[in-house]
Amino acid sequence: MEELVPSSSEPLSPQTLASFRSFIINPSTPQSKISSIFETLTRSLQLTPDSLVLNLLSELASRHSNLSHLVFDSVRSNALLSSESIRLAAESLDALASISNTDPTLSTAIDELDDRLFVSLCFGPSVSVRSWLLRNAERFRIGPYLLLTLFLGFTKDPYPYVRKIALDGLVGVSKSGIIEDRSMINGCYCRAIELLGDMEDQVRSAAIRTVSAWGLILVASNLETKLYWSDDLFVKEIFTEINRTLTFHRVNGRTSPSCHLLCSMGRDMSMVVRVEAFDALGKINLVSEDILLQTLSKRVLAITKEKRSLGQCPAEQFEILASNVAGVLVHGLEDEFYEVRKSACHSLRTLTIISAEFAGEALNLLMDVLNDDSMFVRLEALETMLHMATCGHLKVQGTHMHMFLGTLLDSNTLIRSATRKILKLVKLPNIELFRLSFDSLIENLEKHPQDEADIFSVLFHTGCNHGKFVVSTINEASEEIDQASEGKLGFDSARVAALLVLAISAPLSHGEHVCSIPPRIFSYAVTLLGRISRALTDIMDQNALLAYLSQCSISTTFSATELNIRRGEPCLPVANIEIPNDTSNEIDGSTRTSSQQEKDGASKLQSWTMREPLELAAPLGEFQVEVRDEVMKPINLILAKVKDIWPSIHSGFTNEVLRTLRNFKEELATFTSDSLGTIGAVAFTLQYLQVIKQLAKVWEHFLPAKKLCSSGLGELDLILGKLDMRLRELRSRFTGLSMEQELQILELVLLTCTLRLCKVEICCHFATLKKLSTTVSRVESILKSANIEPTIFISEVGKLLCLNEMSSSEASCNPFMFKELLKHFSLSQFVLCGRLNQIKAELTIPDNDSENPLPFVSRLPVGIPCDITLHNTSNENKLWLRMSMDDESTQFVFLDLNLFGSSDEVRKFTYVAPFYKTPNAISFTLRVCMGMECLFEDVLSVKKYGGPERSRPALYGIRLGLFLTGDESLIFKHWRTVDFCKKAEDIGASSFMHKPPILFQESLLVTSPLFQVVCLAISLKLDAMEAFIINVGAF
Amino acid sequence: MAIDSLVLGAGQQVGKSCVVVSMNGKRIMFDCGMDMAYHDHRRYPDFSRISNSGDFDSALTCIVITHFHLDHIGALPYFTEVCGYSGPIYMTYPTKALAPLMLEDYRKVMVERRGEEEQFTSEHIVECMKKVIAVDLKQTVHVDKDLWIRAYYAGHVLGAAMFYAKVGDTAMVYTGDYNMTPDRHLGAAQIDRLQLDLLISESTYATTIRDSKYGREREFLKAVHKCVAGGGKVLIPTFALGRAQELCILLEDYWERMNLKIPIYFSSGLTMQANMYYKMLISWTSQKVKETYSTHNAFDFKHVLNFDRSMIAAPGPCVLFATPGWLSGGFSLEVFKHWAPSEMNLVTLPGYCAAGTIGHKLMSGKPTKIDLDKNTQLDVRCQIHQLSFSPHTDAKGIMDLVKFLSPKHVILVHGEKPKMATLKGRIHSELGIPCDDPANNETVSISSTHYVKARASDTFIHSSLNPNFKFSKSISEDESGSCLKDRRFMPQLQVTDERTAEGILIEEKNKKAKILHQDELLLMLGEKKHEVRFAYCCPINVSNLEETKSTSDNVLCTSDRCSWLQLLNNKLSGEISGGNIQDFGEHLQVESFDISVCLNDKCPYRIIDTQNKSEAVFFCCTWSVADEKLAWKIISIMDNFDCESH
Repeated sequence: MEELVPSSSEPLSPQTLASFRSFIINPSTPQSKISSIFETLTRSLQLTPDSLVLNLLSELASRHSNLSHLVFDSVRSNALLSSESIRLAAESLDALASISNTDPTLSTAIDELDDRLFVSLCFGPSVSVRSWLLRNAERFRIGPYLLLTLFLGFTKDPYPYVRKIALDGLVGVSKSGIIEDRSMINGCYCRAIELLGDMEDQVRSAAIRTVSAWGLILVASNLETKLYWSDDLFVKEIFTEINRTLTFHRVNGRTSPSCHLLCSMGRDMSMVVRVEAFDALGKINLVSEDILLQTLSKRVLAITKEKRSLGQCPAEQFEILASNVAGVLVHGLEDEFYEVRKSACHSLRTLTIISAEFAGEALNLLMDVLNDDSMFVRLEALETMLHMATCGHLKVQGTHMHMFLGTLLDSNTLIRSATRKILKLVKLPNIELFRLSFDSLIENLEKHPQDEADIFSVLFHTGCNHGKFVVSTINEASEEIDQASEGKLGFDSARVAALLVLAISAPLSHGEHVCSIPPRIFSYAVTLLGRISRALTDIMDQNALLAYLSQCSISTTFSATELNIRRGEPCLPVANIEIPNDTSNEIDGSTRTSSQQEKDGASKLQSWTMREPLELAAPLGEFQVEVRDEVMKPINLILAKVKDIWPSIHSGFTNEVLRTLRNFKEELATFTSDSLGTIGAVAFTLQYLQVIKQLAKVWEHFLPAKKLCSSGLGELDLILGKLDMRLRELRSRFTGLSMEQELQILELVLLTCTLRLCKVEICCHFATLKKLSTTVSRVESILKSANIEPTIFISEVGKLLCLNEMSSSEASCNPFMFKELLKHFSLSQFVLCGRLNQIKAELTIPDNDSENPLPFVSRLPVGIPCDITLHNTSNENKLWLRMSMDDESTQFVFLDLNLFGSSDEVRKFTYVAPFYKTPNAISFTLRVCMGMECLFEDVLSVKKYGGPERSRPALYGIRLGLFLTGDESLIFKHWRTVDFCKKAEDIGASSFMHKPPILFQESLLVTSPLFQVVCLAISLKLDAMEAFIINVGAF
Repeated sequence: MAIDSLVLGAGQQVGKSCVVVSMNGKRIMFDCGMDMAYHDHRRYPDFSRISNSGDFDSALTCIVITHFHLDHIGALPYFTEVCGYSGPIYMTYPTKALAPLMLEDYRKVMVERRGEEEQFTSEHIVECMKKVIAVDLKQTVHVDKDLWIRAYYAGHVLGAAMFYAKVGDTAMVYTGDYNMTPDRHLGAAQIDRLQLDLLISESTYATTIRDSKYGREREFLKAVHKCVAGGGKVLIPTFALGRAQELCILLEDYWERMNLKIPIYFSSGLTMQANMYYKMLISWTSQKVKETYSTHNAFDFKHVLNFDRSMIAAPGPCVLFATPGWLSGGFSLEVFKHWAPSEMNLVTLPGYCAAGTIGHKLMSGKPTKIDLDKNTQLDVRCQIHQLSFSPHTDAKGIMDLVKFLSPKHVILVHGEKPKMATLKGRIHSELGIPCDDPANNETVSISSTHYVKARASDTFIHSSLNPNFKFSKSISEDESGSCLKDRRFMPQLQVTDERTAEGILIEEKNKKAKILHQDELLLMLGEKKHEVRFAYCCPINVSNLEETKSTSDNVLCTSDRCSWLQLLNNKLSGEISGGNIQDFGEHLQVESFDISVCLNDKCPYRIIDTQNKSEAVFFCCTWSVADEKLAWKIISIMDNFDCESH
């Protein structure tokens, strides 16, 4: 093999380099060989610097850390400092940076690299090197001030691409918060403003980001002139100065006074720039009111004309300023692209907080936006209104009502539900509007009966807010109610039911007029107890409602006086996310008499009604402060909406539900910010949505009336299997779940088991029952330790299970009893609060594709280098690699995490996985994926379904889904039995016969659900010349 | 070189758009419209002004038509078939498809209804259309070797385009009619940032600023919904193309969302055929329509049905689109007669109705009785809703476009004179761009750009490759009174990149222009570098000069000179902090400031007529411009310096 290393001074041939590479990546190459390769490469680098050699050297350093210092020095002295080619110098910088990445002891060495070198490279003539260096500047640990200077300078570059990168770099520097020098900040800000007039769209949009980032720093750093800068920033956002700086880019350099031309960014011709502009506008939270008002009117306002000034902006430019600010938001809201309209709607959220007058004007526009043709924009407008309502800036007027209430009849569920959320909070000025809203809600109810629960809830809330109007409405309608109640008390009419809900809310409003609701109304309402209590789950449970109604039907004066005593209770600053457990806890903690319970029912209600919408304004304002909350809040909003769609699932609007869920997913996909802890939350929510999606699909099969075409047995089985899988992932892939949250997940597990047991056709009752009982015992232990009140469903399941255990096993499998259980289930809202971590793995095989396969010798083992990144794993997690070949033969390798560094949040390592049974072929494809054992006792049962046939990975699928499904437990179990080979062969795991599993943890149970499964097709190619043998013992 | 724009129509008026632009030897006619208000020769542009001989083929390079409205295309068949122009004609694909429909419809109305003499025949239209070359958006078309044109999206109507034309270095844009805000079926005008010598823009709404379109849509939908909810019938008289589709999309969308089941009808005829064109020409519509057409073509109206004459009297609510738009006759008037007497019904009218039509009568006041003709009178009890949708841009849109393009000159056409004058003033004062609003048959001449192609020297290219930026802090007061003034409290950080500023353009006789790097200049010219220096011979009083002189025979010895300089040096280094004073023995140097003792009594730089020159020693100072401030500082120090010798 020595002849592979040429001793001459000739440049190394590609073949030689390739063979070097093989040696380098093979962990069993003797150290002496590696050293000699290193020397050859170094020599070659001295003579003829070459990027391939550089690559090899950096690879060598990453694999043989004992040599990394030598390599580092060699690259630095031979390539970086002596090279004449700028490109090569840049590449060697890259190599140095990546070497120091893998070897932390070199991090000081990279710091010692001269900044001047970097800078001089930047000043070289090669544009691609320049842009590459600027983009990667962070890797080289250049001092922030130097970096800032560089970026600032390169904003003058004639190449637009470089300008854009420089601007992006400036945004990056601004985030570090190191720069405090005022004139520096100002310089960056002004330079970015100049570039707002650039010829290139990309540069303009980068400039907007930069102006926004530095402008906000400027605003924050100038306390005394805050408003001035804020206005300046705001106005700048809207227009740009094409001043003399631009004549550089414009050959047509006029010298007339109009050189200094203003042009609005919000009116830019490029859609990307417009979106960016409105996004940036939405970040400013301090602007003069008159500027704001002007943005809503295309004409220059009369007041502004009189004053001849706009906010804090200089007066001499008034005309141009005013005409530019004029109507910018209007333009944004009627833009051709829905992206722009949506962004403009969104920007209103922060802006409406600033000024009430502006909010009023903006509302007029927003109401019109409700007529937009894009659902996204309509929804965004409604969400903005919801924000306004929570800030107390939503003043609804009669003229708005047609449009606004029209959305209650929208065919889209989300739109309707968003409108109702606003209605809950809104304060209506007079009884006409109140009646109008009521009628629209009734119309909504008649057209979309599936909304009933939510509508009742809205009625109840509005009733609480408008006690006086309720009383007069009810008094007029009492005859109608009485008529309906005559005879058999059947309140079938939606209208009458709605009136009743409205009526019973009156005693909880603040006025003194409560007593005027005739008590008999409350007794009528009792007949609708089920329907009403379903709607009011966020406020009180059925028992409390019953107690409340019966008390009121005796005398309404009671509640009024009682309530006044309770006024002082602290209120929760939560808008409409209710945590029912809070209050119900105390009640059930002790024994009480029935009358006490009634009072408590009322007190529960009261503590809710105290959460008046207008009082919420202050705490909500602080939401903007924390980035984390900014993500958590919308996530929780989504989760709240998920809860809201339960009735739709229940009533079988499966397609609609699925569509809605898809929308949620899209919405979630927008939270890409990687601020602390939110990634886990987003991933969790996505997973949760998956669960709900499967649940919705399953539910379809349990609807009485639905006739499902071609829904074979298999289909339900399949979906239930998927549901199981998703739930298992939900349980095993996230750390940091609270007891309550775990409980909610377990409740879903219980539900899944129950669903299985309902169907006679599915013949696995024993296993499912077992799973059910283990889950219940887990639930009970949680309930005990966290002292939580179980939901009705959980307690009913527990009861049934007790019953089953006592009776014989024959009777236990009565599907009907389980079907009964389903009635008790309702989806409770999931609230994310703490930090969630997602256990995640990424697996890549570097430098491998069909063009560039790994060499192997057939029938001998081959080492497969895997770059593995693990997130949030601990050493207790048991990880496995699974490798399967085209012919389905599969092999597992255990990853002992103790060997791979400490249990940090993220650990990265390269692991050479041995694959033993290479086939007798010229090339073959191997799929590698990674899985984690999960140790729930209840998983065992899963293996009965599916079986190996079904869960075989698709051969050529790009995304192969979950590989290690339940059947793997089967394989593993067999290993430990005497005749494992035979059984393993039965299920297609024939490869094990040749090599017994190497390492095996004697854990009780090994099974599947995975991480993010990363599947890769590794192409291996036989090449006798280049072949080498892997040392199996290394593992 | 100059661009001459001859305005043949739409000069200070709305109607018969026609502008002939001559630039760099090419002549382009933009639009060839007719004026609907006249029925004699005035309806056409005065073509004789293009060429007296009538040889239009040699007088015009090409004709460019922006869109299919008659005031932009109406005179085209007449010009080609009757006047005999046979050169190329350019228009967009949709315009080519829809223009014959419009022309044919107009011809029919003229000939068959009004019994007028035919100006052109159906065959003329067909023949004319054969000469048309269709172009696509943003497609650059080489009309001939020098002239090329390109179409940009203009909104307004289906297929409307703005045209960019370029001959050599001279470039211009003719907008035709355009709309800067999108509507339900068409997008907003869209154009690149171009370097223009001339922009010819329409100015229909030169002073109007329109409010949000949402308000208008809301009013319309509210009125229609209220009417049909009450069981009434809605009559929407429109012309076949444009407005009908927009309103119909609006209604469809609303119907869909509100789940309304009330039928919407289209009266048969042109409209259905037009819908078909709209469906085919999807790429010319708005973003929304384009995005969604793969799942649902917005012009596949789900709720729209064909209307049958027998349904006029049928009971129940409905919405009907009927032609023509102004209730000037035809089917819409027939339906109106039936529906007007009921208060439940609603008639919507377009924003503008020609005088003399029923529509116009309905708009003026609220008549209860309308005379259909001499004998019939109609009771009008139905509600009337006036639409204010317009496909033209408003004043703000025009300003935005002018701002965006910032051409060197603007000409306004297609508007009313007083309003155009106001807009002209605004463009001039706010944007600083010269602007004209010529009347018909006037010619505006403006100068055009001429570029010089230059070779660049290697050194210059080389120096341009490497970034060479500098930072400077400047007090921003001298910066053309910009808003930066307000930041007087802090000096401005400026970034400059001198790369191109280092170049020098050389134009030698009979040689191509060349750009050199500034360092190369002297070499090329074979000249030496000249430097301008200031000089001043500064006296310093020396009290005990006599003493010293006596010892040295009136001649200052070298050592004395040096000692004085030494003294001065000490003084200066005390006064100038941080100044780098270099002592060369014979002279002192601070930056470029040079001081030496002057022995020449007739030194030309001596300004002060020194009577008692014996009392003073003279120092000759020279310095270059760059160090002027420093120089005056040193001189003032020297002035106050009383040299106490030894």
